[in-house]
Amino acid sequence: MLQVEDLHAGYGASEVLTGTTLTVKQGTLVALIGANGAGKTTTMRAISGGIKPSRGKVILDGQEVQGLDASRIASLGLAHSPEGRKVFGPLSVEDNLLLGAYSRLPRFFGYHAQAKPDLDRVYDLFPRLRDRARQSAGTLSGGEQQMLAIGRALMARPKVMLLDEPSMGLAPVIVQEVFRTIRRLKEEGITLLLVEQFAKSALEVADYAYVMERGRIAVEGTPAELGRNERVLAAYLG
Amino acid sequence: MNAQIIGQMAVSGALMGLVYALIAYGFQLTFATSKSINFGQGELVMISAFFSLTLTNLGFPYWAMVPGGLLFGALMGLVVERAGVRLALEQKSEGWILLSIIIGLFFFSAAENIWGRDDRPFPTPISADPIHILGVDVTRLELSVAVGVFAIMGLIELFKRRTLLGKAFEAVSADRDAAELMGISSTRTVMLSYGLSGSVAALAGILVSPITTVGPTMASALILKAFSVAVVAGLDSGFGVVLVGMFLGALESLASFYLGSGWREAPGLILLILALALRPNGVFGKATIRKV
Repeated sequence: MLQVEDLHAGYGASEVLTGTTLTVKQGTLVALIGANGAGKTTTMRAISGGIKPSRGKVILDGQEVQGLDASRIASLGLAHSPEGRKVFGPLSVEDNLLLGAYSRLPRFFGYHAQAKPDLDRVYDLFPRLRDRARQSAGTLSGGEQQMLAIGRALMARPKVMLLDEPSMGLAPVIVQEVFRTIRRLKEEGITLLLVEQFAKSALEVADYAYVMERGRIAVEGTPAELGRNERVLAAYLG
Repeated sequence: MNAQIIGQMAVSGALMGLVYALIAYGFQLTFATSKSINFGQGELVMISAFFSLTLTNLGFPYWAMVPGGLLFGALMGLVVERAGVRLALEQKSEGWILLSIIIGLFFFSAAENIWGRDDRPFPTPISADPIHILGVDVTRLELSVAVGVFAIMGLIELFKRRTLLGKAFEAVSADRDAAELMGISSTRTVMLSYGLSGSVAALAGILVSPITTVGPTMASALILKAFSVAVVAGLDSGFGVVLVGMFLGALESLASFYLGSGWREAPGLILLILALALRPNGVFGKATIRKV
């Protein structure tokens, strides 16, 4: 469903990604782990069009999308829930969710009726968002904002969802809740690429995982295989 | 007697102040989406007024001339965005400041060449006879300014709150990158904001022209006041510009009556300096803290 081939990208003159290659098959959850500064978030941004790759390919559902604008890639079926959540603070929770489905809703009127089934689905998944539908997103707690960011990405009915550091800055109890949610998304058959600091928790939910070091993939395999790899054990799972 | 004169002056001044508010609102629209403003907005007001005058002279009735003028304003707003602002924003530079001034100068020369340098009257079917409301005399012409300003600002605010495109507009102003991830094109949203801002400028020109006359320099004083209003009120409060605009208009009118007409420009500049010294984010503005 999502293929990344020999991706090179960076900021200005400094190249962060030096040939990243990975594959996310339909209906699987793939984890991308690695130390700070290894290039995980940069990989995500290069896939979703936030930065333009200087070389390499990004193939979404058979179509090459590298170099396209982020808004175009999103409308082709990629939903990226970014690092730091990035909810639209001044807008209401419901408006945030509606905007998640922006590319397939009418622009002026009737959008609410059309988005109703998806809204209900997200509210069933996160009942607390239903209670706070009219509240502005900026007033939510960190955990609720993360739920909103995931819900917003779900609204797009994406072919692939990128989840960047969903546990960042959250209390341990909430982190557990986030991982329960990720497991549910997986059970619903959503194709996911997950970047996580908590490598151990990520490997528990993932079908396959890549370990990044200095801008490229150092090790890859199923969680069980990585669990037997001594280098990975020492560096990330110790 | 004295109280009545003060009331009279304050009310007609406040109504004129709504024109400053409207122009300042045009700044807010583009600032929200792109953190840029058109420094040639005054020329946009002027050239749209001239265009509307031409429509009127060609025999278009008032109700057809207004939408024509607004459409022209929107087009000119798009020209400013495409020919100037976008080039700078793509480079992440502050070049839009100079580019928008240059395009304004271009509009100014174009207007001088097409319509000449003289100030001309702007015919209108709205009567200038005073009507008596609550002890003060107001003309229908002055009231039309208030009606026009509140109508367009109300429509745009409704658009932002009720339509998905409007919510997308707000999303881009809250977080441009995150909006892109939702499939919202920030480039198109910036274009939209410049188009709306151009229409708003055109309406300001159409509303004020029958009172002041139309000429190439008609907007130079207006724009200075609009800047003051935008700075004093902050660049994110539509409610704020209306209040500050009316306050400044009333103050100016009183200053010129009691101190002499030379003092008309003083309140705007004094307010501007006070605001910059005491509340640089505007009286109604939110303090923005840049996280590093």
